[in-house]
Amino acid sequence: MCTERPAVLIGKPWARYVPSPDAPWNLQRVVHLHRRAGFAATWSELQRDLKDGPNASIDRLLTGRTRCDGVPQDFVSTADTLAIRAGSVERLKAWWVYRMMFGPDPLTERLVSLWHNHFATSAAKVGMAVHRQNEIFRRFARAPFGELLRHVIHDPALLVWLDAPANRKEHPNENLGRELMELFTLGFGHYTEKDVKEASRALTGWTVDEDKFKEDAGLHDPAEKTILGQTGHWKGDDLVRLLLEHPATSERLAFRICELFMGDGATDVGGLKSLAAGLREHHLDIGWAVETVLRSEAFFANANLGNRIIGPVEYVVGAVRALELFDPAPSTLILAEYISNLGHDLFYPPNVFGWPGGRSWINSRSAIGRCNFALALAAGTELGRPMAFDPRVVAQRHGRDGDLAAIVNFYAELLLGVVPPGMWRDRLLKALGPKLVADVPTSRQAVALVLASPEAQLS
Amino acid sequence: MFNRRDFLRTSSLLALAPTVPAFLTAAARAAPPQRDGRVLVVIELNGGNDGINTVVPFTDEGYAKNRKSLRLPANQLLKINDQVGLHPALRGAAKLLESNRLVIVQGVGYPNSNRSHFQSMAIWQSGRMRPAPDNLGWLGAALDGGSSPADGSPAAVLSGFDNLPLALGGRHCRAAAMTRLDDLVLHGSVDLQRAFAAHDTADDLKSFVRRSFLDAYATADRLRAVVGTSDRGAAYPQTQLGERLRLVAQLLKGGLGTRVYYAIHRGYDTHYAQIPTHSMLLGELSGALKAFLDDLAAAELAERVLVFCFSEFGRPVQENGSEGTDHGTAGPVLLAGPHVKAGLVGTTPSLTDLDPHGDLKVGLDFRQVYASVLEDWLDLPSKPVLGADFAKLSLFRS
Repeated sequence: MCTERPAVLIGKPWARYVPSPDAPWNLQRVVHLHRRAGFAATWSELQRDLKDGPNASIDRLLTGRTRCDGVPQDFVSTADTLAIRAGSVERLKAWWVYRMMFGPDPLTERLVSLWHNHFATSAAKVGMAVHRQNEIFRRFARAPFGELLRHVIHDPALLVWLDAPANRKEHPNENLGRELMELFTLGFGHYTEKDVKEASRALTGWTVDEDKFKEDAGLHDPAEKTILGQTGHWKGDDLVRLLLEHPATSERLAFRICELFMGDGATDVGGLKSLAAGLREHHLDIGWAVETVLRSEAFFANANLGNRIIGPVEYVVGAVRALELFDPAPSTLILAEYISNLGHDLFYPPNVFGWPGGRSWINSRSAIGRCNFALALAAGTELGRPMAFDPRVVAQRHGRDGDLAAIVNFYAELLLGVVPPGMWRDRLLKALGPKLVADVPTSRQAVALVLASPEAQLS
Repeated sequence: MFNRRDFLRTSSLLALAPTVPAFLTAAARAAPPQRDGRVLVVIELNGGNDGINTVVPFTDEGYAKNRKSLRLPANQLLKINDQVGLHPALRGAAKLLESNRLVIVQGVGYPNSNRSHFQSMAIWQSGRMRPAPDNLGWLGAALDGGSSPADGSPAAVLSGFDNLPLALGGRHCRAAAMTRLDDLVLHGSVDLQRAFAAHDTADDLKSFVRRSFLDAYATADRLRAVVGTSDRGAAYPQTQLGERLRLVAQLLKGGLGTRVYYAIHRGYDTHYAQIPTHSMLLGELSGALKAFLDDLAAAELAERVLVFCFSEFGRPVQENGSEGTDHGTAGPVLLAGPHVKAGLVGTTPSLTDLDPHGDLKVGLDFRQVYASVLEDWLDLPSKPVLGADFAKLSLFRS
């Protein structure tokens, strides 16, 4: 089932990664791959990928075969039931967290999150319509962008969110036209105010009827319009075509892909332009771009390790997975609440720009919130889970049991990919108290400290 | 380890006993409210507030001509003078005006108005026409130029769930975000400061995270002292903005040394069915503002506080076809507190003499308002923040 795509040479920026002494295929890189392209991994998954090398590991991620732990037999039916029975946006959040935690395809879920941010639509205005939108994101997460865009923009959630039904021939409403250009395709600076007005005219007639997209000719302004220098009797779908053809769209998509997989300072203008050019050659195929980046030397370079802040969802879900808290698992409702308290209220983006991410995930409140989550997780029973957590059991399972230092080493390698150099471990051990006995309470505190450490906020 | 729900019910110092050193409990009981030090509370009206229906020029013939479904009847307005009246939902604000605690600066904007939410907000938040270096905000840059609070409090506090706004971004001043007093309390007995203390002045991401975490622990320590203070529960409207301002009042009453507070009121992007939404928002704003200032007055803290309300742009004269408005240009800025020179400042923008795009002409540059607030209220230099000198306005009584 491995997708065979013809190798396309697009120049040095995205040359393929080959392990070398400078960039060896080691545990740090395996953890890095799973942190960026999924929600962390269990020790078994990490060791398997370490043994099998980068190509096979990435193959598994791309084909939804990467998880060997914690995917229930009845995942699909359970997920479907949870979705059908959701009934409220709070339960829908729990459904999505369930998918991220237990589904076989974490890479797709990361992309769903990217699209949720890109097309930021709030349930505060459109209610449960965000569910169908979320499924569209999932279905077309890695498709050519035109397919995703057309489906999203014909879906009631976005149409209602951006007041499409109110945009009429006699009285245009600029909301949809503006955000379509500024946020979903070209980006700011590649169009004029006149373009926005003309685009809005092209979109007149797009409305929602009986919870479905409807193109109402009676509301449409059929006269000539000039958009981005091109004149014609443009309708909504023509506008979409013009926007997809414009090179700025490929650049914005390249930016989004790099925002997800590449960290601070790891991509330069040349890299972005190269990726954008490649997207244009491949009909804006997101799957192609994702694979290109993940298999690249740049992705695995030293400069791209530990330079990206782990967002709230990845932090929470990743921690639960790495600690193998599958059965019984914490309550997905409670996890969704923690994620929200850390600043990522799923389905409720703060505004049309979504969540800025990066450094903005870290402030006093979210820092304390992450620490409190680490403490709660290590305790085990705080998150709606009936059983307490014994960190030594997981360490034992993988032959890494021992004294407190051994426990800290294991969890640091599991969660961070490597034990941070210098005094990190000694300082942590000192903070655990005078008696360094690896009993259950102290082991829990040790795991909490590793998880709450500044190093654990970066991937 | 106690149950999370129990913890949230009893957020007093005693419940935190395992984590709080004894001397802090004693200090909390003894701490008097700080008597000196002026405070700025910024309320961001997010989305683009329709200034024309906020401060209504009801005798301007452009009003009736361009606003059909959105025209507010003159007899419902709260009149300020013969030509201008406040939206009927601004009753609280009108009372503030009557008691000399509100000044409205009219027609505020900047040259070549940008109608993108993101771009225009970035301009207002940075105080610069082009993005500021290092993404500094006007308040962050200003606070960098002063000294940080002696008690170790953050230089600025965001009251709310939101991400820290650009406005509070400074090179070394620290900002914290909170929604409840016990938001910044650790639910366990681990010595995080001891585990991770390390000097780090580098600029990279790792250092940023490390410094942020250590700052968070320091802020948490300071706020534990405030958690114990009892609040006689002043009456605030049961709205999110009311809660945001109530928290600010609690922090002030608790003697927190922070000088700048920030709250975001969302929903002003009224492209569609503006009348009910705008009415609700202005009612929320007005109610929360009045409750806040009255609460501070009762606690004898009002003299130290100035509230500043702004939006990233106003909205056009001409309404759109969906009984709403799209993005516009200039709008009013509201400043409230006992020290303001109450009334109207600047010329009411004409609804007939418009700019080439058919929008309101900008009368006053927002940086003039910033310069006035920074220098005349906060005693901080404005030129390093704004990059140039801007003529101040007379907004305060001496």
